[in-house]
Amino acid sequence: MFDNNRVVIAGMDLGVDAGEFLAVLGPSGCGKSTLLRMIARLSEPDSGQIRIEPNGERFETAFVFQDAHLLPWRNVLANAALPLELMGVAKPQRNEKARAVLDQVGLLDALDRYPAELSGGMRMRVSLARALVTEPRLLLLDEPFAALDEITRFHLDVQLRELWQRRGMTVIFVTHSVSEAAFLANRAVVLARHGGAIKLDRRLELPPVRDIELRGDPRLGQEMRLLLGAIEG
Amino acid sequence: MKKTLLAPLIPFVLLTLIAEFLVRAGFVRAYLVPAPSAVLRAMIDSHAELLQALFATSVGSLAGFVMSALTGIAIAVLLSSSRGVQRAFYPYAIFFQTVPLIAVAPLLVIWFGFGIQTVIASAFVASVFPVIANTLSGILSTDPPLRDLFKLYGASPLVTLFKLRLPAALPQVFTGLRVSAGLAVIGAIVGEFIAGGGLGSVVETARTQQRIDKVFAAVLLASVLGLALFGLINLLSHLTLRRWHASEQ
Amino acid sequence: MLLHRVQRRAFLKTAPALALLAACSKSTTLKLALNWKPEPEFGGFYAATFSKHGLAVDILPGGSGTPTVQMIGAGSVDFGIVSADEIILARSHGNDVVALFAVFQDSPTGIMAHASRNLTSIGDVLMDGTLALESGLPFARLLKRKFGFSHVKIVPSPGGDITSFLHDEKFAQQCYLTSEPIAARRKGASVKVFAVSEIGYDPYTTVLAVSGESLRKNPDRAKAMAAAVREGWQSYLADPKPVNQQMHQLNPTMDLDTFAEVAEVQSPFIETDATRRNGLGTMSRERWETLIAQFKELGDISQTIPADECFQVL
Repeated sequence: MFDNNRVVIAGMDLGVDAGEFLAVLGPSGCGKSTLLRMIARLSEPDSGQIRIEPNGERFETAFVFQDAHLLPWRNVLANAALPLELMGVAKPQRNEKARAVLDQVGLLDALDRYPAELSGGMRMRVSLARALVTEPRLLLLDEPFAALDEITRFHLDVQLRELWQRRGMTVIFVTHSVSEAAFLANRAVVLARHGGAIKLDRRLELPPVRDIELRGDPRLGQEMRLLLGAIEG
Repeated sequence: MKKTLLAPLIPFVLLTLIAEFLVRAGFVRAYLVPAPSAVLRAMIDSHAELLQALFATSVGSLAGFVMSALTGIAIAVLLSSSRGVQRAFYPYAIFFQTVPLIAVAPLLVIWFGFGIQTVIASAFVASVFPVIANTLSGILSTDPPLRDLFKLYGASPLVTLFKLRLPAALPQVFTGLRVSAGLAVIGAIVGEFIAGGGLGSVVETARTQQRIDKVFAAVLLASVLGLALFGLINLLSHLTLRRWHASEQ
Repeated sequence: MLLHRVQRRAFLKTAPALALLAACSKSTTLKLALNWKPEPEFGGFYAATFSKHGLAVDILPGGSGTPTVQMIGAGSVDFGIVSADEIILARSHGNDVVALFAVFQDSPTGIMAHASRNLTSIGDVLMDGTLALESGLPFARLLKRKFGFSHVKIVPSPGGDITSFLHDEKFAQQCYLTSEPIAARRKGASVKVFAVSEIGYDPYTTVLAVSGESLRKNPDRAKAMAAAVREGWQSYLADPKPVNQQMHQLNPTMDLDTFAEVAEVQSPFIETDATRRNGLGTMSRERWETLIAQFKELGDISQTIPADECFQVL
């Protein structure tokens, strides 16, 4: 994959199982965002291929960006319903689904509000809801909570993990934060500074339930040390 | 609300009083700069003529402005369709900006004749470019992630244009319209110098009669017209964007 | 006899003036603002040898709408070219401008129409078609008063441009009898011209004017200026060719043939019985009084102004 004549990812081989929560880590510029965009089919690789099996509709993939990127001229409900609208779903149906998913992220009483009236955390939750409204099999997130304060970030992390467990979708989560990766994922991959080589690919040895208690668990710290070591080394 | 109306009035009143004093005391000669009281008297004495002229110029500039708005947005949409189209045709759009209107106006008279149609054409030429430039800029500067989002769900370029790029461009469209409104008034008056009618013709006639008080009265009314149009656009902008754009909060 | 006296007096007064000016020297270059581009109507100014009279003069060409009468009043130029009607209006507004030398004894303003319309008098032009006028001008308003504009479409004057005229047989326009008709004939049109003086309105035109203040402060300078200008016009009328060449360089939009033709057509406006008696550029109180009365009647001035204050023959 080339970006301005610079090789961003050269020869990556990565397999992801269905239902996995995969965290992708690495220093800035290592190509993790590019990887995610290629998986989403927003960019094409120069060589090689990306296969998703079973090969369903491309709409089965959803993407959450670094900022919420909501349409400011639409209210919360219309924003959440947008993917279904673009897919041609009729208004009553898509609004019903949007309402349901907004309920899951706890925004049921904000349906009429506009993005300009919401806090950063709320906007992110709308973005998340929008991603989930099509009931995707694959959810891609590119450092989605990086711009939020720590407390909000933690709440959203917990919420994301819960949604993952309930829906059984595959999640690929790109992040800078070692602690976030360790907290959320059951598998972590660390990319090299240049060229996209995988420096570490590890199944995290952590309990399936991730909550505030885990914060004090020494195992979390262990995994974090390992991941950090791979990034820095 | 009171503050926004009151604040600009204060310098206006002050300036008027100072100007009145300067002319009365003889520091400034009355045939070069009329005293505000003389301008007021000219307005009252010729109010019928001035009001009729104001109406004519309003029609001409408004019509020209609406044409600019619609055509300008349409042209910007066309230009946004491809890089190649843009490169080929954008320079011609710039022509509207750079052409000296006072040189083009006589040509307009030859093509359209003497009458309000030429005034409208002149107002159009003067005001179309800011709409094109600002609208195009707005359409082209849509957030890439949003464009990705639309792409992800398979939206066609046309759908992306109408559901994403045009609404996203609205604040910039209004910026273009704001600039365009004042230019439409100027364009209409220049057109009137050559084709007759409206405030332009009052200015021209008063000038040859050395009635500088009447010239100022007409110019003042033209400014009021420009301000009114500007205010109208602002109101429209506020009503449209108020719930979602930082510039309106 | 009158001519003799004038000449001698002029000489007696200029001699010490020359000496004085020579002493003060070329420290100030005087500005003379024209109200149009360099054309035969200004030939005498370009022909004048100002240095001979102890003056250094910079001639500033003008164009459409150059406000020469205001420039004189504001002091941004020392001398300017205006018309008598402008002077009367200016004076009524408190702008103290005084005429020194009237190049055109009769106004060359007129109306040009297509010959094919078979019009016989100026009033006929107002019966039909389109007429391009500067409606603010006194003669325009006099025309309206006399004939009414109900049958003709009035549009703004195209300021020398004859394109609309050439395209439309029913189009007539205000013109300078020495200018647009010649251009139109060259383009193959057959024109009939009517002088505005036909309705009795005949202001002095292409008048050299100065501010009253400057005249009072520096009478000798004004006199020297008038003398230089008079000589210049004598020279130009005798042979316009060299100065035409000079003006053509400054205004290439008019070709030399046209310069020659216009110079010829304009002479009878400049050299008349009155000037043969009293010298080029002469003005009479009677003419000024008539004009002032016309303005009063039109309502352009609220009170009569004394004719003597409007002009000075030096």
